[in-house]
Amino acid sequence: MTRTHRLGVTARMIAVLVVLGLAVFPVYWMLVTALTSDEALFGGGLTLLPDLSRLGVFGDALQDGEVVRWLLNSLIIASGTTVLSIALGVPLAYALSRFRFAGKAALGLALLFTQMLPEALLVVPLFAIFRRVDLLNSLHGLVLANTAFVLPVVALILKGAIDGVPRELDEATRVDGGRPPTVLLRVILPLIGPSIAAAAVIAFFHAWNEYVFAVTFIFDKSLQPASVGVAGFIGEQDTSIQSIMSVAVLFTLPAVAFYLFAQKYVVGGMTAGAVKG
Amino acid sequence: MPVRSSRRRTALSALALTAVTAIGLGGCSSDTSGGDGGGEPEPATITFAASTLGDPGRGPGLEALIEEYNSSQDVVTVEPASVPYPTFGQTVLTQMGGGEGPDLVRFDMPEFSAAAASGLLEPLGDKIDAEELDLIPGPDEYMSVDGERYGVIFEASNYGMFYNADLIPEPPTTFEEFVDVAKSTTSGDTYGLAFRHLQAEEPGVWQDIFNYVLGFGGNWSDGEKLTLNSPEVVEGLEAYQELYDANVIPKGTDAATFRKMFATGKVGMELNNGGYVTATVAANPDLNFSVARIPFPEQKQGALLAPIVINANSEHKDAALDFINWMLEPEQQVSLQEVLGASSVATPTERSAESLEQYPFLPVLDELTESGVPQIVVGFGAQTPEIRTIVVSEVLAALQGQQDMQTAMDNAQEQAEELVGQ
Repeated sequence: MTRTHRLGVTARMIAVLVVLGLAVFPVYWMLVTALTSDEALFGGGLTLLPDLSRLGVFGDALQDGEVVRWLLNSLIIASGTTVLSIALGVPLAYALSRFRFAGKAALGLALLFTQMLPEALLVVPLFAIFRRVDLLNSLHGLVLANTAFVLPVVALILKGAIDGVPRELDEATRVDGGRPPTVLLRVILPLIGPSIAAAAVIAFFHAWNEYVFAVTFIFDKSLQPASVGVAGFIGEQDTSIQSIMSVAVLFTLPAVAFYLFAQKYVVGGMTAGAVKG
Repeated sequence: MPVRSSRRRTALSALALTAVTAIGLGGCSSDTSGGDGGGEPEPATITFAASTLGDPGRGPGLEALIEEYNSSQDVVTVEPASVPYPTFGQTVLTQMGGGEGPDLVRFDMPEFSAAAASGLLEPLGDKIDAEELDLIPGPDEYMSVDGERYGVIFEASNYGMFYNADLIPEPPTTFEEFVDVAKSTTSGDTYGLAFRHLQAEEPGVWQDIFNYVLGFGGNWSDGEKLTLNSPEVVEGLEAYQELYDANVIPKGTDAATFRKMFATGKVGMELNNGGYVTATVAANPDLNFSVARIPFPEQKQGALLAPIVINANSEHKDAALDFINWMLEPEQQVSLQEVLGASSVATPTERSAESLEQYPFLPVLDELTESGVPQIVVGFGAQTPEIRTIVVSEVLAALQGQQDMQTAMDNAQEQAEELVGQ
């Protein structure tokens, strides 16, 4: 390895570390803020290091069980949204990619169009529909609302992935007597695993962070997800910044865990078959 | 920057449109089942939504008061509804417009006016006798919309100048002194003044600029026509901008942060309402602060009037009215006032000797009731939330140097006139 090459590697590593630092710093700062007293936070005694003697704030946050309940509700909503949007998105993407039917182009455009509408505009008509079908104040109602919002994105991601699978594989399966469901389940699904994992991450994060539907459709305190619970710490006259930050740190952990779990499949899928054994 | 600002404005417009659409839907969806609020309550569990329930300082006290009601009888149970403050009005109006929502709501005036005009609130004219209950006439007159009563004062709070007595031993008495003190107090990580100036806090910015507009002799309307670009309004807003440009406020910080800064002695002055007293003491019991009149040319300032109302969709209107009647009893009024701090309540209530000893400035705030103006556009109460969105967006664009204040208010006038059909 030449000196120039070593310098290049070092420079790249430094660049990666800087970018990583920028990405991780907000989360780290949440942790530091959660562990800092008001006096230190506003009185000039602020340091870059967390005050570990104040770790009790996390215990306080978890003490009455409310935060755990919020996180569980968020987990149910996000998991349900992820499973449902993938389950509906895969056949939709398959149909858009492989079949010719009347209105196909219009359907593709409609999927794009739905992404141009902000949640705030959809909340009123959805509220009226949900009231009529008795889906308000329920976690499964929120799963449906979030799925409706994220499904077009999932379908478009998966369509792109299926487009990349050679049609010859479909035809070979059909020659062997395989019908479209078999082609989808046996041939295409295993090949688009990384894209499914990526779409699942997007669906999960959307539902995990979603606020507008959650705050409007849920009336019962015990059904609130964490996104609404955290916002509840912001008072009209006073806000406990440490409480918000400690709960926000807890709020990010399950989402990060899910990403790390899904990331394995993204990378695993991308490298599968790359080296012939 | 302009692109971001424009996106932000689009998103806020969408939120405003949502609430307005919800109100529109709700105008024709009133449910009158479950009692008309005039009889004996049947056993029921009802919900009460108030943005103050989320305050670390006042929330626990209010919850204790609700619990006191629950234990005082065994027919009605009131449960606090948890709606986060940042989206309180939009959320509750959407729910009510969709035929749902909490049974009881503590609204701010703009949302109250809009909800009442859209038929989302239960009329209380034949259920509340102002004379018999001895309701304070001044604030109570704003509880009626188009001649019908829809609410009762839950909290009336006048705006005064809060100041840190250690940083500012002598409070300013003129606007010039106000600017000078703000400048001389600003040093290092300490700021002379703090006010809201971020689009994300639109209702709060509206409350803050209200004091500047009134204090310089302006008003948003003359009762019949909008006067958003009148010389007095523009002068008041230019005073607000002068302080912004003087770099005497912690720019970029939201109210939650700069109020903590005030509580920790890092902000010298803040214009706020009486409800702030309890929150400040809760944040730092040792803070040496006081309250004086706002030192602007005109002795007029905003007043936070917060009515308690019954949702027209409620299936338990009798139960909701029972809670309101209980709350209006003299004993509960005293308790409520203690919880709310320096705010007033619906009826004349004597301040306790302990309160006056703890907060010697309370009479200053109480005396402002006569010159307090509720934060609505008079004559356009129902459209106040939308006018607020227009005004705040234009004013903040002026703060950011995208236009001068006169142009901003000319734009606001044009948009608002189109909105109200003038």
